[in-house]
Amino acid sequence: MVNVQGNQDWEGRYYHIDQILDAPGPRTDEGFMAGDDVKDFLRNQAKILVIGAGGLGCEILANLALTGFKDIHVIDMDTIDISNLNRQFLFRQKDVGKSKAIVAAEFIMKTRARSQGDAVSIGLAFLLQIISSGEFLRYFGKIQDKDDDYYLQFNLVICGLDSVEARRWINATLVNLVDSENPESLKPLIDGGTEGFKGQARVILPTITSCYECSLDMLNKPTAFPICTIANTPRLPEHCIEWASVLEWPRVHGDKKMDTDNPDDISWLYAVAASRANEFNIEGVTWSLTQGVVKNIIPAIASTNAIIAASCCNEAFKIATSSAAYLNNYFMLIGVEGVYSYTFEHEKKGNCPVCGGESVSLSISREMVLEELIELLTERQDIQIKNPSLSTPTKQLYLRAPLQLEEATRPNLLKKMSELIPDGGEVTVTAGTLPFSLSLDISFT
Amino acid sequence: MNDSQSLETATTSIQAPSGVPDPKTRRYDRQLRLWAASGQAALESARILVIPATATATSILKNLVLPGLGHFTLMDDGAVTGADAGNNFFLDGFFSIGKSRAEEAVKGLLEMNDGVEGVADVRDIQEVLKSDKGWLKTFDVVIAHNVDSNVLNDLAALLWPETHLVVVNSAGFLAEFSIHYREHQVIESHSETSASLRIDQAFPALLEYAMSLPLDTMDITDHAHIPYPVILVRALEEWRREREQVTSPSSSTGSPRTTVEKKVFKERIRAMMRKFDEENFEEAEAQAFKCWTPTIIPIEVKELFALYSSSTSLPPSASTFPALISALANFVQNNPASPRYPSGLLPLTLSLPDMKSSTEEYVKLQKMYRAQSEKEKQVFKDYLSREQVDADDVTIDAFLKNSHALKVLKGNEWKDVDPGSKELLLDKLSTHPKETATHLALAAARRLGAKDVLSSFKSSSGPNDATMAENLDKNKLKDLLTAEAMTFLPPGTELPETEWRIVSGEIARAPSADLPTTAAFLGGLVAQEVIKMITKQYIPISAGNAASSANDQLGICVVDLVETWTGIL
Repeated sequence: MVNVQGNQDWEGRYYHIDQILDAPGPRTDEGFMAGDDVKDFLRNQAKILVIGAGGLGCEILANLALTGFKDIHVIDMDTIDISNLNRQFLFRQKDVGKSKAIVAAEFIMKTRARSQGDAVSIGLAFLLQIISSGEFLRYFGKIQDKDDDYYLQFNLVICGLDSVEARRWINATLVNLVDSENPESLKPLIDGGTEGFKGQARVILPTITSCYECSLDMLNKPTAFPICTIANTPRLPEHCIEWASVLEWPRVHGDKKMDTDNPDDISWLYAVAASRANEFNIEGVTWSLTQGVVKNIIPAIASTNAIIAASCCNEAFKIATSSAAYLNNYFMLIGVEGVYSYTFEHEKKGNCPVCGGESVSLSISREMVLEELIELLTERQDIQIKNPSLSTPTKQLYLRAPLQLEEATRPNLLKKMSELIPDGGEVTVTAGTLPFSLSLDISFT
Repeated sequence: MNDSQSLETATTSIQAPSGVPDPKTRRYDRQLRLWAASGQAALESARILVIPATATATSILKNLVLPGLGHFTLMDDGAVTGADAGNNFFLDGFFSIGKSRAEEAVKGLLEMNDGVEGVADVRDIQEVLKSDKGWLKTFDVVIAHNVDSNVLNDLAALLWPETHLVVVNSAGFLAEFSIHYREHQVIESHSETSASLRIDQAFPALLEYAMSLPLDTMDITDHAHIPYPVILVRALEEWRREREQVTSPSSSTGSPRTTVEKKVFKERIRAMMRKFDEENFEEAEAQAFKCWTPTIIPIEVKELFALYSSSTSLPPSASTFPALISALANFVQNNPASPRYPSGLLPLTLSLPDMKSSTEEYVKLQKMYRAQSEKEKQVFKDYLSREQVDADDVTIDAFLKNSHALKVLKGNEWKDVDPGSKELLLDKLSTHPKETATHLALAAARRLGAKDVLSSFKSSSGPNDATMAENLDKNKLKDLLTAEAMTFLPPGTELPETEWRIVSGEIARAPSADLPTTAAFLGGLVAQEVIKMITKQYIPISAGNAASSANDQLGICVVDLVETWTGIL
């Protein structure tokens, strides 16, 4: 066993991984540089960005560290909650309330550092940059000012997120980053997600394979209860809980924001919902259900996260080293009944607003008013845009901000689209949460 | 207004926190939403033995320790090598080198959850198999990763069938695992199929109510709030009466069958609308198929009646499950609580989906379903009382709630899947070439390991063994694997060329690599299946349904992490 890493890596440390790195296998690309070259790249040059230090993130960080990646950056804006401890295994009871990114990064560094036997010299060998919540918000919020150089420094990006919006944002950012003159600008994006016993992992090569936006219509539609049901004809315990949170909270508390992480607030909602349920003879309102509904809790377990995170890191390892073929491009797991999985190539969408570069054709009634068009865009499964602003090449149709423009364009909301634009006209849609604008070709039926 | 006022004062004066779950419930919240307190209790009382302390083994344990497993023993007589310190997250890295692998790993694992009991056992499993057989059988589940074939065979024979054995093997990017049990009964299968609303075979109170509504004269608002099951029951009964040309109750059978009949039936529902936008009638039209989808007993449940009635020759089971099935079989034959349809129905459950309706009408319907399901539960309990077993109400309720989705699985004994019968393997090679080739290659590698040809196949190997692996020419190893695999198949069988080149090449490349990512992947998969076994919820991998006479499944899960797929053989 040759130790190529010199003094910092003890003998045998990479015995297992090196069986892969020392020789090509039957499904290895010709460009694979077996031996010292690939090891040097993996251990001394590769730089990887991990977005999310939660259920998947903890697993991803541990896997990457064991695999031999040494320059790992992690971003997470969240803090540790007691309900994370059943799966986010880098956190302990004493860490509740602290930043996930910081605690996770420190855990990995501490473990690896200890393992090297010399904490001081290791600090140099194992760089782990922590971006605190404030900075992430800055990156996340100011899309137009985003710093491409930040992303250009990484070889690849792994996402372990629970938010559709954040995924759309990083996806669009990496697609926009691709510069055909500069091959280095193409950053593979590996994305994982889980829900209960189900999960998926996928490899996105921006502009080459299908991107996150291409598959937006695969997402389950979130359950939404009509407001009239909540207000007038509750039937399910969920309806009573929605009544408490959507209608009663603002009525009683005014501007005070509900904190769904505060047990007192959940208790208040529970009591209000339970009392309404009692009034209507509806059974089943519990504290736990109340919390589940208002926080939109998705069941999460260690084992599913382990599978999906392992898959993500395995792809990262194969892509970074070229040691074996990688996933093309979607792995879906359903563990409810036996071990069922499906590996397939998700096809690029020709008219994808992010990687397709084409506008979306939309056929609407002449009578449809702007407000209804906005509602349609919000509801369309393949668009899902929140609080959009709309304009044509020549005029503003409706802008959310600043206030003066909002006021000036507000009357348009009730105007018919056929009065606002010609048949076949182009409408550009932008939203604060998306780093791209959507172009619509509107035709009238 | 008065109501909301009083509500406001009532709620703002609530002394928080009320109903807030205790810290343990909060810690386990995200998993309790999957397997509830019953599953958690089962997990917390389970005892598991894991052999030895490889990266894969500790990854499996991690995913059992985090959700709160009761007890685990990690058995390993070895010392931590540099290789172990490099691929096992639960060791203390460099500082663990030279110390007991079992002890160091247990320390790292227990850090994650102080509610779990973990013990390091530094004995050699071969010794324990000789000296402490009884103790090995005290565990609920024993998990063995890359354990030598000869040890594994003894262990498997000893444990079968009381203690469930999980065999896990991996090399580089390839892996397989299997669970060895005789029979596994699942009441809470968490099926996504919901129980029937019995629209086609309405119970008396529902039918009576549906027929009593003065549809043409009732208040128009009430009319727009009739729940769709009531509308469908009414429409179907009227359809039946017309067809039979009677004014009194119909014979209660028959449903629209042809496309034309179904279309006309939907038009009938539409014609019942008194205003154009009555959403409840639109919903009824959309759900009209429930009138011609007969409420039946799923074939898998029916098969269970035969399975347990024919097993009289077997020794009586300590489990109440056969008794519950027997009572269910009796219920299906004669259910006096449903005089119109006394046979052929499973007990009614109260699981009404949401529907367009007013609160009052919805709750009224819910009460009707509840009253009927209570009656039927009583009938069931009467049958059960003849079985002379003690089943508590919680068990009975869960059983009745899931009676349409009961599952009884069978497993294979280890010796029957290592590697499996020649005929079955031949068959699988043609239907599942990739998966079968992977299984054959891993089984061949195990044989070579047992013959000491491939001593470095043990993932506990350290750097010293690695030189052996390097010395062993990869092509020679492939030839040996091929020769071994050929003995698993009928004489003259050819291995599928491409698939075999790939799998034998993968094994030859990394015969003893316990890769961190493969270990983590397996850690998740295996723990998931073990949790399903322990909680008796959800459906683990199996060799098929226990009631089925077909023996066409090995019950092995195969993994390839180059193309990233899993498969079941």
